[in-house]
Amino acid sequence: MSESKAAATNQGFGRVLVVIYAIFAIGATSRSVIQIVSRFEEAPIAYSLSAFAAVVYIVATVALGRGNKTSRKVAYVAVGIEMAGVLIVGAISLLFPEAFPRATVWSDFGRGYLFIPLVLPPVALWWLRKTE
Amino acid sequence: MTGPFATATIVVGLVIALWAGVYLVIKRPVDRPLQVAQLVLAGIFVVLAIGGIVQMLGTDRDLARAEFVGYLLLSPLIPVGAWWWSKNDKSRAGSGVVLVVGLVMPVLVVRIQQVWAGV
Repeated sequence: MSESKAAATNQGFGRVLVVIYAIFAIGATSRSVIQIVSRFEEAPIAYSLSAFAAVVYIVATVALGRGNKTSRKVAYVAVGIEMAGVLIVGAISLLFPEAFPRATVWSDFGRGYLFIPLVLPPVALWWLRKTE
Repeated sequence: MTGPFATATIVVGLVIALWAGVYLVIKRPVDRPLQVAQLVLAGIFVVLAIGGIVQMLGTDRDLARAEFVGYLLLSPLIPVGAWWWSKNDKSRAGSGVVLVVGLVMPVLVVRIQQVWAGV
Protein backbone atom coordinates (compact mmCIF):
# COMPACT_ATOMS: atom_id res chain seq x y z
CA MET A 1 0.00 0.00 0.00
CA SER A 2 2.75 2.47 -0.80
CA GLU A 3 1.72 5.85 -2.12
CA SER A 4 4.52 7.41 -4.08
CA LYS A 5 4.29 11.16 -4.58
CA ALA A 6 4.61 10.89 -8.34
CA ALA A 7 1.56 8.64 -8.56
CA ALA A 8 -0.81 10.93 -6.67
CA THR A 9 -3.57 12.48 -8.74
CA ASN A 10 -3.93 15.43 -6.36
CA GLN A 11 -0.52 17.04 -6.83
CA GLY A 12 0.50 19.92 -9.07
CA PHE A 13 -1.84 20.30 -12.05
CA GLY A 14 -4.13 17.75 -10.39
CA ARG A 15 -5.03 20.34 -7.77
CA VAL A 16 -6.26 22.74 -10.42
CA LEU A 17 -8.22 19.87 -11.94
CA VAL A 18 -9.78 19.09 -8.55
CA VAL A 19 -10.86 22.73 -8.16
CA ILE A 20 -12.46 22.80 -11.63
CA TYR A 21 -14.27 19.54 -10.84
CA ALA A 22 -15.33 20.90 -7.46
CA ILE A 23 -16.83 24.02 -9.05
CA PHE A 24 -18.71 21.85 -11.55
CA ALA A 25 -19.88 19.55 -8.76
CA ILE A 26 -21.20 22.47 -6.68
CA GLY A 27 -22.74 24.19 -9.69
CA ALA A 28 -24.37 21.09 -11.15
CA THR A 29 -25.66 19.91 -7.75
CA SER A 30 -27.22 23.19 -6.70
CA ARG A 31 -28.70 23.74 -10.15
CA SER A 32 -30.27 20.30 -10.33
CA VAL A 33 -31.64 20.52 -6.78
CA ILE A 34 -33.44 23.76 -7.71
CA GLN A 35 -34.67 22.31 -11.02
CA ILE A 36 -36.03 19.16 -9.40
CA VAL A 37 -37.63 20.93 -6.45
CA SER A 38 -39.20 23.78 -8.41
CA ARG A 39 -40.19 22.37 -11.84
CA PHE A 40 -39.40 18.67 -12.19
CA GLU A 41 -42.56 17.97 -14.24
CA GLU A 42 -41.41 20.30 -17.05
CA ALA A 43 -38.61 18.01 -18.16
CA PRO A 44 -38.19 14.93 -15.95
CA ILE A 45 -35.57 13.25 -18.15
CA ALA A 46 -33.41 16.34 -18.57
CA TYR A 47 -33.56 17.19 -14.87
CA SER A 48 -32.89 13.61 -13.75
CA LEU A 49 -29.92 13.58 -16.08
CA SER A 50 -28.67 16.86 -14.57
CA ALA A 51 -28.84 15.28 -11.13
CA PHE A 52 -26.99 12.19 -12.36
CA ALA A 53 -24.29 14.39 -13.94
CA ALA A 54 -23.98 16.25 -10.64
CA VAL A 55 -23.35 12.98 -8.77
CA VAL A 56 -20.72 11.96 -11.34
CA TYR A 57 -18.93 15.28 -10.85
CA ILE A 58 -19.00 14.88 -7.07
CA VAL A 59 -17.55 11.36 -7.28
CA ALA A 60 -14.85 12.49 -9.74
CA THR A 61 -13.93 15.46 -7.53
CA VAL A 62 -13.52 13.33 -4.41
CA ALA A 63 -11.73 10.52 -6.28
CA LEU A 64 -9.22 12.86 -7.94
CA GLY A 65 -8.71 14.70 -4.67
CA ARG A 66 -7.94 11.60 -2.61
CA GLY A 67 -5.16 10.42 -4.87
CA ASN A 68 -4.67 6.79 -3.82
CA LYS A 69 -4.92 3.50 -5.68
CA THR A 70 -8.61 2.84 -5.08
CA SER A 71 -9.64 6.42 -5.75
CA ARG A 72 -7.74 6.28 -9.05
CA LYS A 73 -9.95 3.40 -10.20
CA VAL A 74 -13.06 5.24 -9.06
CA ALA A 75 -11.83 8.33 -10.90
CA TYR A 76 -11.35 6.35 -14.11
CA VAL A 77 -14.91 5.05 -13.89
CA ALA A 78 -16.42 8.45 -13.04
CA VAL A 79 -14.49 10.30 -15.75
CA GLY A 80 -15.33 7.51 -18.21
CA ILE A 81 -19.06 7.87 -17.46
CA GLU A 82 -18.70 11.62 -17.81
CA MET A 83 -16.98 11.23 -21.21
CA ALA A 84 -19.67 8.83 -22.43
CA GLY A 85 -22.37 11.08 -20.99
CA VAL A 86 -21.26 14.26 -22.72
CA LEU A 87 -20.77 12.45 -26.05
CA ILE A 88 -24.03 10.49 -25.99
CA VAL A 89 -26.22 13.24 -24.54
CA GLY A 90 -24.50 15.81 -26.75
CA ALA A 91 -25.25 13.76 -29.86
CA ILE A 92 -28.85 12.97 -28.83
CA SER A 93 -29.58 16.61 -27.97
CA LEU A 94 -28.44 17.68 -31.43
CA LEU A 95 -30.16 14.87 -33.37
CA PHE A 96 -33.39 14.77 -31.32
CA PRO A 97 -33.76 18.18 -29.66
CA GLU A 98 -37.24 17.29 -28.42
CA ALA A 99 -35.77 14.58 -26.14
CA PHE A 100 -34.36 17.30 -23.89
CA PRO A 101 -36.74 20.27 -23.82
CA ARG A 102 -34.59 21.78 -21.06
CA ALA A 103 -30.83 22.04 -21.22
CA THR A 104 -28.60 19.74 -19.19
CA VAL A 105 -24.94 20.27 -18.48
CA TRP A 106 -24.14 17.79 -21.26
CA SER A 107 -26.57 19.13 -23.92
CA ASP A 108 -24.97 20.24 -27.21
CA PHE A 109 -21.64 18.87 -25.91
CA GLY A 110 -21.67 21.29 -23.00
CA ARG A 111 -22.04 24.42 -25.11
CA GLY A 112 -23.83 26.27 -22.31
CA TYR A 113 -20.72 25.77 -20.18
CA LEU A 114 -18.16 26.91 -22.77
CA PHE A 115 -17.61 23.27 -23.82
CA ILE A 116 -15.71 22.69 -20.58
CA PRO A 117 -17.77 19.48 -19.94
CA LEU A 118 -16.41 18.15 -23.25
CA VAL A 119 -12.79 19.13 -22.60
CA LEU A 120 -12.65 18.11 -18.94
CA PRO A 121 -12.91 14.28 -19.25
CA PRO A 122 -10.10 13.84 -21.82
CA VAL A 123 -7.89 16.14 -19.74
CA ALA A 124 -8.71 14.15 -16.59
CA LEU A 125 -8.05 10.84 -18.39
CA TRP A 126 -4.73 12.19 -19.65
CA TRP A 127 -3.85 13.27 -16.11
CA LEU A 128 -4.79 9.88 -14.66
CA ARG A 129 -2.59 8.14 -17.26
CA LYS A 130 0.28 10.53 -16.72
CA THR A 131 0.34 10.09 -12.96
CA GLU A 132 0.08 6.30 -13.11
CA MET B 1 -28.08 43.67 -11.90
CA THR B 2 -26.61 44.73 -15.23
CA GLY B 3 -25.25 48.07 -14.05
CA PRO B 4 -21.66 49.29 -13.74
CA PHE B 5 -21.16 47.42 -10.46
CA ALA B 6 -21.82 44.05 -12.10
CA THR B 7 -19.41 45.01 -14.86
CA ALA B 8 -16.83 45.92 -12.20
CA THR B 9 -17.12 42.43 -10.66
CA ILE B 10 -16.30 40.96 -14.07
CA VAL B 11 -13.30 43.24 -14.51
CA VAL B 12 -11.93 42.45 -11.03
CA GLY B 13 -12.28 38.71 -11.67
CA LEU B 14 -10.42 38.99 -14.98
CA VAL B 15 -7.67 41.15 -13.46
CA ILE B 16 -7.11 38.53 -10.74
CA ALA B 17 -7.06 35.76 -13.39
CA LEU B 18 -4.47 37.69 -15.41
CA TRP B 19 -2.43 38.39 -12.26
CA ALA B 20 -2.44 34.70 -11.27
CA GLY B 21 -1.68 33.74 -14.87
CA VAL B 22 1.46 35.87 -14.81
CA TYR B 23 2.54 34.27 -11.50
CA LEU B 24 1.91 30.85 -13.02
CA VAL B 25 4.13 31.63 -16.00
CA ILE B 26 6.96 33.18 -13.98
CA LYS B 27 6.63 30.34 -11.41
CA ARG B 28 5.98 32.65 -8.51
CA PRO B 29 3.86 31.42 -5.60
CA VAL B 30 0.75 33.38 -4.62
CA ASP B 31 1.83 36.30 -2.42
CA ARG B 32 -0.04 38.42 0.07
CA PRO B 33 -1.38 41.09 -2.32
CA LEU B 34 -2.92 38.41 -4.54
CA GLN B 35 -4.42 36.69 -1.49
CA VAL B 36 -5.93 39.98 -0.33
CA ALA B 37 -7.26 40.58 -3.86
CA GLN B 38 -9.29 37.39 -3.60
CA LEU B 39 -10.85 38.55 -0.34
CA VAL B 40 -11.66 41.85 -2.06
CA LEU B 41 -13.29 39.84 -4.86
CA ALA B 42 -15.31 37.90 -2.29
CA GLY B 43 -16.36 41.18 -0.66
CA ILE B 44 -17.51 42.56 -4.01
CA PHE B 45 -19.68 39.48 -4.48
CA VAL B 46 -21.20 39.93 -1.04
CA VAL B 47 -22.18 43.46 -2.08
CA LEU B 48 -23.50 42.12 -5.39
CA ALA B 49 -25.57 39.55 -3.49
CA ILE B 50 -27.09 42.16 -1.15
CA GLY B 51 -27.78 44.54 -4.04
CA GLY B 52 -29.23 41.76 -6.18
CA ILE B 53 -31.58 40.51 -3.47
CA VAL B 54 -32.75 44.05 -2.68
CA GLN B 55 -33.40 44.64 -6.40
CA MET B 56 -35.25 41.33 -6.65
CA LEU B 57 -37.53 42.18 -3.71
CA GLY B 58 -38.36 45.47 -5.41
CA THR B 59 -39.64 43.93 -8.62
CA ASP B 60 -42.67 41.87 -9.58
CA ARG B 61 -41.01 40.56 -12.68
CA ASP B 62 -41.12 36.87 -13.43
CA LEU B 63 -37.71 35.38 -12.74
CA ALA B 64 -36.40 32.18 -11.16
CA ARG B 65 -36.06 33.67 -7.69
CA ALA B 66 -34.70 30.61 -5.87
CA GLU B 67 -32.06 30.15 -8.54
CA PHE B 68 -31.14 33.83 -8.46
CA VAL B 69 -30.69 33.92 -4.69
CA GLY B 70 -28.84 30.59 -4.77
CA TYR B 71 -26.29 31.91 -7.24
CA LEU B 72 -25.86 35.15 -5.31
CA LEU B 73 -25.35 33.44 -1.95
CA LEU B 74 -23.01 30.69 -3.20
CA SER B 75 -20.81 32.87 -5.40
CA PRO B 76 -18.87 34.72 -2.63
CA LEU B 77 -17.83 31.35 -1.18
CA ILE B 78 -15.80 30.46 -4.28
CA PRO B 79 -13.18 33.25 -3.98
CA VAL B 80 -13.07 32.62 -0.21
CA GLY B 81 -12.27 28.97 -0.99
CA ALA B 82 -9.58 30.05 -3.46
CA TRP B 83 -8.12 32.43 -0.89
CA TRP B 84 -7.95 29.65 1.70
CA TRP B 85 -6.43 27.27 -0.85
CA SER B 86 -3.73 29.70 -2.04
CA LYS B 87 -2.88 30.51 1.58
CA ASN B 88 -2.13 26.85 2.23
CA ASP B 89 -0.75 25.81 -1.15
CA LYS B 90 2.54 27.54 -1.85
CA SER B 91 3.18 25.50 -5.00
CA ARG B 92 2.52 26.69 -8.54
CA ALA B 93 -0.82 24.90 -8.39
CA GLY B 94 -1.98 27.61 -5.96
CA SER B 95 -1.63 30.20 -8.74
CA GLY B 96 -3.46 27.82 -11.08
CA VAL B 97 -6.39 27.59 -8.67
CA VAL B 98 -6.59 31.38 -8.37
CA LEU B 99 -6.45 31.67 -12.17
CA VAL B 100 -9.35 29.24 -12.60
CA VAL B 101 -11.47 30.99 -9.98
CA GLY B 102 -10.70 34.40 -11.51
CA LEU B 103 -12.10 33.09 -14.81
CA VAL B 104 -15.10 31.35 -13.24
CA MET B 105 -16.39 34.42 -11.39
CA PRO B 106 -17.09 36.57 -14.50
CA VAL B 107 -18.91 33.59 -16.04
CA LEU B 108 -21.00 33.36 -12.86
CA VAL B 109 -21.90 37.05 -13.13
CA VAL B 110 -23.05 36.52 -16.72
CA ARG B 111 -25.12 33.53 -15.60
CA ILE B 112 -26.63 35.55 -12.74
CA GLN B 113 -27.54 38.27 -15.23
CA GLN B 114 -29.19 35.64 -17.46
CA VAL B 115 -31.31 34.44 -14.55
CA TRP B 116 -32.16 38.06 -13.75
CA ALA B 117 -33.25 38.58 -17.36
CA GLY B 118 -35.41 35.44 -17.12
CA VAL B 119 -33.41 33.34 -19.60
